Amino acid sequence: MSRILGTVPSHPDLRRAFGLRAAGVYYALALLLVVLAMVSTIMGRPNYLSVLNLTNIVYQSSSVAIMGVAMTVVLITGNFDLSVASVAALAAVTHISTIDALGFVPALGLALAVSAAVGLLNGVMVQLVGINAFIVTLGTLTAVRGLVLIASDGRSLMVHNPGSLSAMTAFESGRLGPIPYPVLYMAALTLIVWFVLNFTVPGRRIYAVGGNPEAARLSGINVRAYKLSAFVLSSVAAGFAGVLFGCRFGAINPTALQGEELTVIAAAILGGTSLFGGAGSVIKTLAGALLLFTLTNGFNILNLGANYQGLIEGTVLVVAAAIYTVGGKARIRRPPVATARAALTKEAT
Amino acid sequence: MDTSSSTAALLELAGLAKTFPNGTLALRGVDLTVEAGTVHGLLGANGAGKSTLIKILSGALEATSGEITWRGERVRWQRPSEPKAAGIATLYQHIPLVPTLSVLENVFLAETTGWRRTRQLEARLQRLLHSIGYDIEMHVPVGDLAIGQRQMVAILQALASQARLIIMDEPTASLATAERAIVYRTIKHLAHEEGAAVILVSHFLDEIVALTDEVTVLRDGAVVLHAATKDLDEGKIAAAIVGRAVEAVVREQRPSQQNTDVILEVNRLSSPGKLAPCSFALHAGEVLGIAGFLGSGRSELLHAIFGADAEAHGEVRVQGRKIARSPAAAVRSGIGLVPEDRMTQGLVPDFPLWLNATLPYLESIAWRRVLISHRREIELARQAINRLHIQAAGVDVPVRDLSGGNAQKVSIAKWLSETIKVLLLDEPTAGVDIGAKAEILRHIRHRAAAGGGVIMVSSEYEELLAVCDRILVLRAGAIVAEREIDETNEQELILLAGGTVASGPPCSDMADTIVTGPPEGLRATSAACERATRAPQA
Repeated sequence: MSRILGTVPSHPDLRRAFGLRAAGVYYALALLLVVLAMVSTIMGRPNYLSVLNLTNIVYQSSSVAIMGVAMTVVLITGNFDLSVASVAALAAVTHISTIDALGFVPALGLALAVSAAVGLLNGVMVQLVGINAFIVTLGTLTAVRGLVLIASDGRSLMVHNPGSLSAMTAFESGRLGPIPYPVLYMAALTLIVWFVLNFTVPGRRIYAVGGNPEAARLSGINVRAYKLSAFVLSSVAAGFAGVLFGCRFGAINPTALQGEELTVIAAAILGGTSLFGGAGSVIKTLAGALLLFTLTNGFNILNLGANYQGLIEGTVLVVAAAIYTVGGKARIRRPPVATARAALTKEAT
Repeated sequence: MDTSSSTAALLELAGLAKTFPNGTLALRGVDLTVEAGTVHGLLGANGAGKSTLIKILSGALEATSGEITWRGERVRWQRPSEPKAAGIATLYQHIPLVPTLSVLENVFLAETTGWRRTRQLEARLQRLLHSIGYDIEMHVPVGDLAIGQRQMVAILQALASQARLIIMDEPTASLATAERAIVYRTIKHLAHEEGAAVILVSHFLDEIVALTDEVTVLRDGAVVLHAATKDLDEGKIAAAIVGRAVEAVVREQRPSQQNTDVILEVNRLSSPGKLAPCSFALHAGEVLGIAGFLGSGRSELLHAIFGADAEAHGEVRVQGRKIARSPAAAVRSGIGLVPEDRMTQGLVPDFPLWLNATLPYLESIAWRRVLISHRREIELARQAINRLHIQAAGVDVPVRDLSGGNAQKVSIAKWLSETIKVLLLDEPTAGVDIGAKAEILRHIRHRAAAGGGVIMVSSEYEELLAVCDRILVLRAGAIVAEREIDETNEQELILLAGGTVASGPPCSDMADTIVTGPPEGLRATSAACERATRAPQA
């Protein structure tokens, strides 16, 4: 069961629970950290596993992780959302351009509302009109970015009001002890989504809706509402990440975060989320995001040159997907008796 | 048709037998002779071995023993390409055409020359169309065609391959009257003018009587009737399909219906193109059977009641209260549906048993309807395993790994909750072994005995007769007859469902059919089927 939901296995199938397919992303993350620590020691660089550096990695990955957690929910429901980075930029632009007039919190609310509207649009186009999610969100990816350019007139937007700036700094750069606020936001969202997915009725239904929409519908579940809500969640999370981004610099460039949606989806895939729906874990997505940013961070610290980064990241992604796919096939292989029986029931009619 | 003068038969089967690896005998030595220029009807109930026989003839299965002689030569086909090359074309119920390609491209899909010679192929198709007196736009994608036209494209494909024997598996099951007429004409043309042979599998007895020259009936993997069609009538064929008198089934004491309340009321429920307005009532403690062939609207009726058909309209009342038209509302008011295809409609195959078993009523086992108690879930799954005797390695087994019968039981276990008062079952015993079948049927009686209502669709009329209190017969999307269980038999049901008038008009121009609880409902029995009912058993 641990494969589908992150709950404590109710069945002592520990080999499966700790197998490559189920826990591979944690092994990969641990292995990467050990290797980087050793290499940095050998090369006489500062301690890689220092609290400062580790905190830095988590901090850097927080906004991708926030979007990734919501993306995981969309993927579990059997859909796809390419528009997150554009929505994040739109939210940042909305926030920055209204903060002086409205104040920090109302501007944040407005930014999230705008994001939610885009998510609603995505959901309606996909679930009610019936267009493929890939096409719809490819459209909103482009169109929303266009909206960002129009709203910003193609220039960077900056916040000048010192009151607004300090509110933004407090929101983004504050720390609770050693932990930066964005990490707390990420942890809170991940925990809430993890809890909902694993212990509540809507969580179960989200999995069922992606696992077999027709069976879910005929079980009395409102499939459309669940799938649509996932889009709204994804957009709102993206909007929040975008506001964080804007707060970090007190400014937003209209091309900011371009291409970030692919990193977000990569994090979910590294975490073993199925693109066919019905399976996925937000904790593993979080690990996937950390894995990606550990790689980036390692390249920087070891001075290996940014040119290799893309090649290595891409390879890691495909290898991870291969492990999940091959592991999945091994599981699906049925015992010979059951197969013969299934074949027979079909043929004997 | 003059078959005696032919010198050698086109196809001869002698002692053809098929045993499946698990020991099931699907065919026990079938002899069959098909002459060129004839139409041969092949009939039998579900599981009689028709499909297995067709699969052997089309090369999809290999016979365990027996001989196949094709045009005087003994053959042993191991893959589908071999009989195809030899001149046998098989038309399956689900037509494998490429929807994005044009009619022309589909008809000549098997042509293997490297160059496209559109002009030449167009001329060939034109000749073909002319010879059977049919017309179709050649360059339209097949996906845009109506189902009947697609069937014709499949037939044209078979003709283009110059097949000498064409096997048609229920070619008219999903067709409207006009389209059927074309298929009939084509079959006659093929046999009587082109000199090809046709093996026609059909449930519609009038079709068989009108079209075929010879009839072979299979039962339990053996030939029980083989005769020239002119010596037969529908009643004799139906009797042969049924065979033995329906075995006496131990019936439980049934509560008298007059005293019990109406639990489900259906008023003028219809769906455009699928279902004519239907009205009937279901009583508490009653099992209502729906008899009808594939395409008669039986699944559509259940889906409409359950609110799963968005286009359906009409009124459904549970215990007097009208329910909204959505599956969620139906479940809330106590209706459950066990759909026809358990793996694509009933279950989430990759999910474990426990998750599937509790899916529809999660709220009722959750604290404040939100927070799930995992222990309670597991407990309920264990209870379901015990109550329905599900054989599974544990509650964690993905239902994909269960056998057909056990998966079906999980699909039923979804509705074990006491809140479900009316259960709709669509072919609950299809593809299920005998043991599981008996248990499922017993469970259905138990539900009724406990005061619930059950509506059950089945192609196996014997089963309906064993379990139900009352049977509605559906044909072409309308209720055509209602029978109390004591006043009908399997033969009559076969005749009502498909015998006397195989090609009913589509629902749109059909008069409303209103059937109510008491036995004095509508009677659509024709004199012909009365006669047939009394015909002696074969």
